Amino acid sequence: MASVKITDLHKTYGTTKVIEGLDLAVDDGRFVVLLGPSGCGKSTLLRMIAGLESITAGDVLFDDKRVNDVHAKDRNIAMVFQNYALYAHMSVRKNMAFSMRLKKTDKKIIDEKVKWASSILGLDDYLDRLPKELSGGQRQRVAMGRAIVRDPDVFLFDEPLSNLDAKLRVQMRTEIKDLHQRLKTTTIYVTHDQIEAMTMADEVVIMRDGVIEQSGSPMEIYDRPNNLFVAQFIGSPGMNIIECRVTGENGTLYGAAEGLQLPLPSGANVSVGQNIYYGVRPEHFRSSRQVAASAGGKAIAGAVRVVEPTGPEIHVYAKLAGQDICSISRERVIWDPGEEIFFDPDLDHVHLFDGVSKKAL
Amino acid sequence: MNKSTLMTTLRYLVSAFIVAVFVFPIAWFGLTSIKPTSAVFNKDKVVVFDFEPTFENYQVTVLGGKKADTASGSNLLMGTSGEGAYDGRSSIASSLIIAISSTFAATVISLFAAYALSRLSFRGSQGYMHWILSQRFLPPIAIIIPLVFIFRDLGLRDTHLGIIIAHTLINIPIALLILKSFFDDVPVEIDQAAMIDGATRFQCFYLVVVPMIKGGIAATAVLCFIFSWTEFLLSLFLTNSIRTIPVKITTFVTSTGSEWGYISALGTAAIIPGFIFILLVQNHLVRGLTMGAIKD
Repeated sequence: MASVKITDLHKTYGTTKVIEGLDLAVDDGRFVVLLGPSGCGKSTLLRMIAGLESITAGDVLFDDKRVNDVHAKDRNIAMVFQNYALYAHMSVRKNMAFSMRLKKTDKKIIDEKVKWASSILGLDDYLDRLPKELSGGQRQRVAMGRAIVRDPDVFLFDEPLSNLDAKLRVQMRTEIKDLHQRLKTTTIYVTHDQIEAMTMADEVVIMRDGVIEQSGSPMEIYDRPNNLFVAQFIGSPGMNIIECRVTGENGTLYGAAEGLQLPLPSGANVSVGQNIYYGVRPEHFRSSRQVAASAGGKAIAGAVRVVEPTGPEIHVYAKLAGQDICSISRERVIWDPGEEIFFDPDLDHVHLFDGVSKKAL
Repeated sequence: MNKSTLMTTLRYLVSAFIVAVFVFPIAWFGLTSIKPTSAVFNKDKVVVFDFEPTFENYQVTVLGGKKADTASGSNLLMGTSGEGAYDGRSSIASSLIIAISSTFAATVISLFAAYALSRLSFRGSQGYMHWILSQRFLPPIAIIIPLVFIFRDLGLRDTHLGIIIAHTLINIPIALLILKSFFDDVPVEIDQAAMIDGATRFQCFYLVVVPMIKGGIAATAVLCFIFSWTEFLLSLFLTNSIRTIPVKITTFVTSTGSEWGYISALGTAAIIPGFIFILLVQNHLVRGLTMGAIKD
């Protein structure tokens, strides 16, 4: 096992800058998820850690040793690819044993290791099958088996679940997390799926356009997004964002937008006339037929568009000041489409972002 | 008869007809090879099956037997030179040596080149494929004269090695093109996974990627073999004493007559090695060998 440190990393393809001066430290045994929209450079970063992509500038260090010039095969890493990348002509057993065969490991040890990995991954009955005789989930497990038999210093996952169907994805997610808890191998996991990131990570690193926007524990990022991008990227359904301008009335500040007056949390670091983004997560945006007492007479009214029951909760979509917003209710609300209802933001959980810099206020 | 059986019957009839169209010339050729000359040259009717089969044509061309009097009785006047003129055994041997060697050489060289072109980027790799293919733009007849002189100066004229090299050179572009497309079908992540597993570039090539494109290699080998086996022009110009089968057969057409019996016998015999070769590799001629490697 090893810690991974990245300092001032750059990657350019011709004139295109993919990664610009990125710093990242992954402590030994941590599960770090690189999260971002496609094209943000997260896969490139992972491949540079793996040694599959050349480094334009900066350093990659494993346990404080610079590995920039170490070939992928000598980095003692294991990688699971999005498309599994199994050796199609080899049985499951041979797929898993491949790395050890190359190292001329003793046959008995190979057998033991393969047995160990296959029992962890539930592949005991499939050892002599070819990859084409397996289902998608089983193939992904073989790819993971191939990785864990090696006792790698670092596990790298490149969107390993995005080819699986929804149910299997949830199951494999749990399995990967469980595996990490058992093996405690330093893991770097790339995904564009924020649910995967939230559920699995010790630390989430949100990337955009080759730079890190924010990193921290999943809940930290969820509760205290640094900027508008992170706020909108994390959470599903996403955070409601309403553009407004700060106005004052009798010493109280409001966010004013198209006939709306949104209450601001007390002590908000804003000044009158400032343009801001007013963010509130759907679960902190209560919907009701009555105007909430806390609204201070400034009712936030909107017309219901769609009501989506998901089982445990109900998602209410409505139009507010011309913008689509969502409110999540754990009570079984029975709003009709078109009905005018009132919304009440939980002031403890309102996020304000500067209108220009888009940074959290 | 309901509709589906009617359709099935029709389908069989049509396929039987098409097969017949393609098989007929070969069958007729084969039939001619076992006909006595009198049946081949019957003026009154087309002899199909009502003849005494004879294997004399094979005896002479394939087994090196003495040439007996032909039915026309004019063999002594036919103008072909001397004993053994119709003995095709050394031609068969030469053809086999040349076809197998050039197939092997072209496939192996192309295999390495195709992998490099598919996986590695190097200066000039962009136009490389076009440059290679341009070697095939010229018809062989256009390069024959310089080739003859070059081969003469190198001492390669009239040697097996010479024709092997010539056939290999002609086959490489097409073999390269086919193999490269097969390599391109194998996702590059497979190579990367192998390298992360600790494989060198070469181990990754021969332990992982090459076994995955076995079918493509087999198909390429078949094409190279067939080309070399049937190639006429280069073999004709680059040799005097070594005669491959296609060249040898043309010598059976003489100024005084064509020995149709011998032509068809050696021609029919010549089908067999190619047939065996294709039978041997056809098990590998299956698509989908990479199935299961990645999410389909």
